[in-house]
Amino acid sequence: MLIELKNITKEYDNSGVVTKVLRGVSLSVKEGEFLSIMGPSGSGKSTLMHIIGFLDRATDGTYLFDGENIKDFSDDELAYIRNERIGFVFQSFNLLARTSVLDNVILPLTYSKKKNHQELATKALEAVGLGNRLNFLSNQISGGQKQRVAIARALVCDPKVIFADEPTGNLDSKSGTTVMSILGKLNEEGRTIILVTHDRTVAEHANRIITIKDGEIISDEHNPNPRRSKIIEDPTDDIA
Amino acid sequence: MKSYFLQAIRGITHNKSRTFLTTLGIMIGIGTVIMVFSTGEGFKSYINSQIEMFGTNTITIETVVPASTKTRDAGDKADNANMDNNVANRAIPIKTFKNKDIQDIKNVANVKNAYGSAFGQEVVTYKDNSKTTLILGADASRFEIDKGVIEFGRPYTNEENSSLAQVAILGHTLAEDLFGDSDPLGELVRVGNYNFEVIGVYEPRGGLGSFDDEQIFIPITTLQKKILGTDYLGYGIVELIDGDKADSTSLDIQDVLRRNHDIDDPLKDDFSIKTQEQNMETFNVILSATTFLLIAIALISLVVGGVGVMNIMYVVVTERIGEIGLKKALGARNKDILYEFLIEAILLTLLGGIVGIISGSMLSFGVAKLAQNFGFAWKFSVPIYGIILSISISTMIGIVFGVFPAKNASKLNPIEALNKE
Repeated sequence: MLIELKNITKEYDNSGVVTKVLRGVSLSVKEGEFLSIMGPSGSGKSTLMHIIGFLDRATDGTYLFDGENIKDFSDDELAYIRNERIGFVFQSFNLLARTSVLDNVILPLTYSKKKNHQELATKALEAVGLGNRLNFLSNQISGGQKQRVAIARALVCDPKVIFADEPTGNLDSKSGTTVMSILGKLNEEGRTIILVTHDRTVAEHANRIITIKDGEIISDEHNPNPRRSKIIEDPTDDIA
Repeated sequence: MKSYFLQAIRGITHNKSRTFLTTLGIMIGIGTVIMVFSTGEGFKSYINSQIEMFGTNTITIETVVPASTKTRDAGDKADNANMDNNVANRAIPIKTFKNKDIQDIKNVANVKNAYGSAFGQEVVTYKDNSKTTLILGADASRFEIDKGVIEFGRPYTNEENSSLAQVAILGHTLAEDLFGDSDPLGELVRVGNYNFEVIGVYEPRGGLGSFDDEQIFIPITTLQKKILGTDYLGYGIVELIDGDKADSTSLDIQDVLRRNHDIDDPLKDDFSIKTQEQNMETFNVILSATTFLLIAIALISLVVGGVGVMNIMYVVVTERIGEIGLKKALGARNKDILYEFLIEAILLTLLGGIVGIISGSMLSFGVAKLAQNFGFAWKFSVPIYGIILSISISTMIGIVFGVFPAKNASKLNPIEALNKE
């Protein structure tokens, strides 16, 4: 089992007012799965993803990643896992402004021990179809392209798991489809994908969909026929 | 390491006008430090040239009240315990330093030349003009040692000195005061009860030599026998063959004087011997104290500048909170973020320091040019220790004032930082 959560809780203490965001979540994810976490806003799905993605720590419960209890990990060890073993794609892309596409993808490599930064970043950008945009500044490309740069950045350290938090939330449907098809392709290549979304059509790209409400998992369904979109050529790709 | 620098450079080039304003305090502070050092060096070169005007490679012999005598006096009256050396000198004239001492000193190894000198004060009169002025008596060797230039006329000779000739050379200002536009050469001026023939006029010396410009110069024997009625000297100047051996020559001269004055106890020395280097040292102590004071003032500006850098770094951390969150999400460790911000702060202050060094040097160059235009022998130089110190100070300010904002940034929780954007 790649990810094993046992009775995970998360509470926020706002000057004495305790808010329970997760009320005992247990979940197992196998390597190579494409998992969607669905739920309305405020359901705790993002908090859950942050905990699984090592961005936040649970208040209580056990989290085993690749068999290891992450409670014992130091901040530096968590940083190492975030760098080498997982990748993130955010709703608002979070690219460095006024920085080239290539340098954005190189950024995670600067915190790793890997060498040949240029080469690895170029390869990752080619994998998302942006091999011809290396030296564009992050503010000179379209939203769909930005999200593909973000996927390349998540991919560049060759992680086991990619976390995507509403990756199509800020995109038009065409760009969204392209992004989803890239994620689908990455899953077919063997990478575990964990996707957070409130959109059923987006969630249906996964082969397993869990629904979370008020901090608890209310359903965990197998999706035998995951939606597969064809890569739609982004018309802006041709504008040099 | 390289990536820390790249991130830091990206940070400081992001908002250039703010970077400039942030580093302004450091620029001013470092500029001041460089100016203080550079003009200090210039001033030193000027003083050096002034001191050399009285002769290069020289040793000065002054008469002093022996230490043992002073101690005895102090025993009687506690108030006298702190009695200043000069006051003591004036109160008790030392009569032991004679022309014979100078003759004996001339025979010491490494001594090229020497002259003895004494001062008097008299009213000097020419027609209706009169002036109370210092009279400097010296033997003719003075003209070989002293760098003062006689503009008109000639120096007096050793024969004139031995024959108590009543001849005088006027300082430039004194000549103007007494004679105005008319030619003083060959005229008679009255000094006390005697008439002296003006045989020369000095060029103006200016600077430290401006005292000389107002004096009258006559043979030492004439001064002693006819005006002062004494047979002792106030001080002596010894010119050396090799200035590097000044210390050992000083000891030889000390031996001569102790023998001539029958002194067996160093506490009873009634003279003090100072090499030019020792005279420079006295000046250097004063200069160092002034430099220290000015640097202290510049340091205040640097601290204020540092606080400015710290403030801006706090602002920058807040501004880039989302970026910090992102970097942490992508695997940056706390220390990666710490170094990025710390290096950015150091680059900021270092940049200010470098601009400060350049502008401070340019200003000191201006000061040097200005001084040279006014005829001062002022050399322009930026001492290397000033540059090294400035660079170390600006780096240190970057570290000291950058470390708190950088620590703040590094400790941010990644998800809170991401959410704040």
